[in-house]
Amino acid sequence: MKEMVRAFHARMDRWGESLHQKEMRIPVDLTVGVLFFLFALAILFVMPQQVAISEKDTVNGRAFPTLLMVVMMICCAMLVGKEIYKIITKQPLNWKVINLQTEIKALVILAILVVTYLLSRFTDLFVVGAIFCCLGFLVYFRCKKPSYYVITITIAVAIWAAFRFVLNVDF
Amino acid sequence: MLQYIVPATGLLFTLENILWINIGVFVGSVFAAIPGLSVILCVILFLPVTYTMTAIPGMMFLLGIYCAGGYGGSVSAILINTPGTPHAAATMLDGHPLSRKGRTKAALKIALYASTFGGVFSALMLLFLGPQVAKIAAQLGTAEYFMVCVFGLTIIAGVSGKSIIRGLVSACLGLLISCIGTDPMTSYDRFTFGIPRLYLGLDLAVCLIGLFALVEILAKAEKKLGELRLDTAKMHDDGKISRQEYKRMVRPVIMSSIIGVLVGIIPGTGASEASWFSYNTAKNLSKHPEEFGNGSVEGIAAAESANNAVTGATLIPLLTLGIPGDGTVAIMLSALMINGLNPGLSLFTTDGDIMYAIMLGLILVNLFMFIQGRFLTTLFAKVVSIPQEILTPIIVIFCFAGAYSVNENYFDVAVALVFGILAWILRKLDLPPVPILLGLVLGRMTETNFRRALLISNGDPSIFLKSIYCKIFLALIIIAVGAIVRGKWKEQKAAKAAAAAQKESN
Repeated sequence: MKEMVRAFHARMDRWGESLHQKEMRIPVDLTVGVLFFLFALAILFVMPQQVAISEKDTVNGRAFPTLLMVVMMICCAMLVGKEIYKIITKQPLNWKVINLQTEIKALVILAILVVTYLLSRFTDLFVVGAIFCCLGFLVYFRCKKPSYYVITITIAVAIWAAFRFVLNVDF
Repeated sequence: MLQYIVPATGLLFTLENILWINIGVFVGSVFAAIPGLSVILCVILFLPVTYTMTAIPGMMFLLGIYCAGGYGGSVSAILINTPGTPHAAATMLDGHPLSRKGRTKAALKIALYASTFGGVFSALMLLFLGPQVAKIAAQLGTAEYFMVCVFGLTIIAGVSGKSIIRGLVSACLGLLISCIGTDPMTSYDRFTFGIPRLYLGLDLAVCLIGLFALVEILAKAEKKLGELRLDTAKMHDDGKISRQEYKRMVRPVIMSSIIGVLVGIIPGTGASEASWFSYNTAKNLSKHPEEFGNGSVEGIAAAESANNAVTGATLIPLLTLGIPGDGTVAIMLSALMINGLNPGLSLFTTDGDIMYAIMLGLILVNLFMFIQGRFLTTLFAKVVSIPQEILTPIIVIFCFAGAYSVNENYFDVAVALVFGILAWILRKLDLPPVPILLGLVLGRMTETNFRRALLISNGDPSIFLKSIYCKIFLALIIIAVGAIVRGKWKEQKAAKAAAAAQKESN
C-alpha cells in the first residue's frame, strides 16, 4: 500500500513538474476590458426580461442598473483604449502569467469543495461532508501524520456539534 | 450626550456583552496571529453568528475581533518575522530584531501597551467627534447621500487595486449584484432568472464567504506547504521594560495615535498606511533614529499605536455618513443595518442609547484586549504554529456552516461556492474584491437615494449638482480621483525607473 502511495505521489510530482513549466500569458487589461464590456452589454440586453417596470414610474427599477452598466462600459472602453494606445506606441502591455500547475491544483481544491457540498446536501448530514472535507484536504496536502487526521476530524465534528446543538442550526 | 451615557452604560454592562467581547477579542487575536488569515476573513466567517444576536452583543463581538486583530497581527510579526496581518508589517521591522535580542516578551508587551493606548484614544475620539459629524450628516438630503456613496465607492475603488478603472469595474459589479432580488421601491423582482430563491436577494454574509474566505482556500494552490514552527524558548525572557524605555515610548505613542485617528477618518486609507506613516514620522523625530530597524522600542510603539488608533476613527464616517473606511467595517455596517440601525444623526438621537453603548463598548474591547494580551499572549503565540493541513479544512467547514446557517439551506452554500469561483477568476484578472464588497454593502442605499433624488426632481439629473453639499462632494471626488491617479502614475514611474536602473546594472 505504502509503495502504491509513493508511486502515485512520484507520478503526480512528475506530472506537476511538467505542468509547472507550462504558462499562459494573457493581456490582462485588454481581457478585462473586452470581457466586462460584453458582460455589461449582455446585462443591458436581458434587462427588459429580467427587470419588470410599471409604465407610470418616472424613475423605474432599470435606471440604476442601466447607469451601472454604462459606467462599466465606459471604464472598459478606457481600459481597451489604453491598451490599444500602448500597442500603437509599442509600449509593453500589462500581462498576467497563468501557471497551469496552479490552476490544476485550484481545480482539485474546488473539486473537494464541490464534493463536500454535494455530500452534505444529498445525505442531508453536514457532518458527512465535513469529514470528507477533512480527509480530502489532508490527502491533498499529503499528510502522513495520523494525529493530524484525528485532530482535524475531531475539530470538524466539534464545529458541527456547536452549530447543531449550541446555535440550533438544523443540519 | 450625557443623557445617553447612563442608559448606554446599563445596556453595555451585561454578562452577555462582556462574554461576547471576550470571545471576539480571543478569536480576533488568534486569527490575526496566524499568517495568511486576515481580520476581514475572520469577521466574515463569524458574521452569520451575529445574525441571531441583538445589535449590542453582535457589534461588541465584531468590534472585539476587529480591534484584537490589530494587536494579534503583531504576535507573528515579532515572533517569526511574518506579519499576521498586512498592517503589522511596520511592527515587524523592530519587533523581530528586539525578539532576536532575547526580548520577545518585552516586544510583545510594548506592542500590547501601544495598541491599547491607540485603541482607547481612538474610541474616545469616536465618542466625541462622532455626534458632531452626525449633526452635519443630518443636513444631507437624498441627492447628497447619493454623492456620499459615490465618493466612498470611488475612493475605495481607487485605492484597492493597481488601477482605479479596474476598481470601478469591481464596484459596478458589486452594485449590480446588490440589485438582485426585490426592487427596494416597487417590490418587483430583478435579475432572478426564474430562480425563486433569488427573490429575497443574495445574503451579504454568504457572498462574502465566497469572495473572501473560499477564494483564500483556492489560493492554497498558489503556495507550497510550509510549516511555521515556533521556537517557544524565545518566550522565556522576563519582559521587563525599563523606565527610560517607557519615557521614550510616550511621544511616539501619542503622536501615532493622533496620526492613526486622522488617517482612519479618511475613507479608503487604513491601518497599514497609518502604521507606516507613523513609523516614519517617529523615526524622523527620534533622538535615536539609528535604532530603527534594529529593535527600537519607539518603532514598535509607533506602528502599533497607529494601527489600533484607526479602529475607532474608521467608525466615524461609517456611523455618521454610512461610508465604510475599509472592508472590515463595511461588514460591520451590514451587521448594524440588519438590526434596523441606519447611519446618520438618528443613530445618535433615536437610537442614542444603543449607539453610545457601542461606542463605550469600544473602550471596553480595548481594555479586555489588554487583559487577554497580558495573560494569553503565550497561547496566541502557539497558535502561529498550527499546520495548514489542519487549518484549511477547518476554515472550509466554518465557511460552509456559516453560509448554511444564514437561512438554513444548502442553496446559500452553493451561492458561496459560486462567489468563491467568481473571486478566483477576478483575482486572475487583477480585479480587487474590496470594491465589490463595498458595492454589495452600499448598493441598496446608493440606489434608493439615486432614485428618490430623481423622483424629487422629476427625472432631472442636475439635482446631483444643485446643493452646496453636492458641489463639495463632487469637488472631493474630483480631488480624490486626481490624487489617486497622480499617486499611481508616480508609482508606475518609480517602478519603471527602478527597472531601468536594474537593467543598466546588469
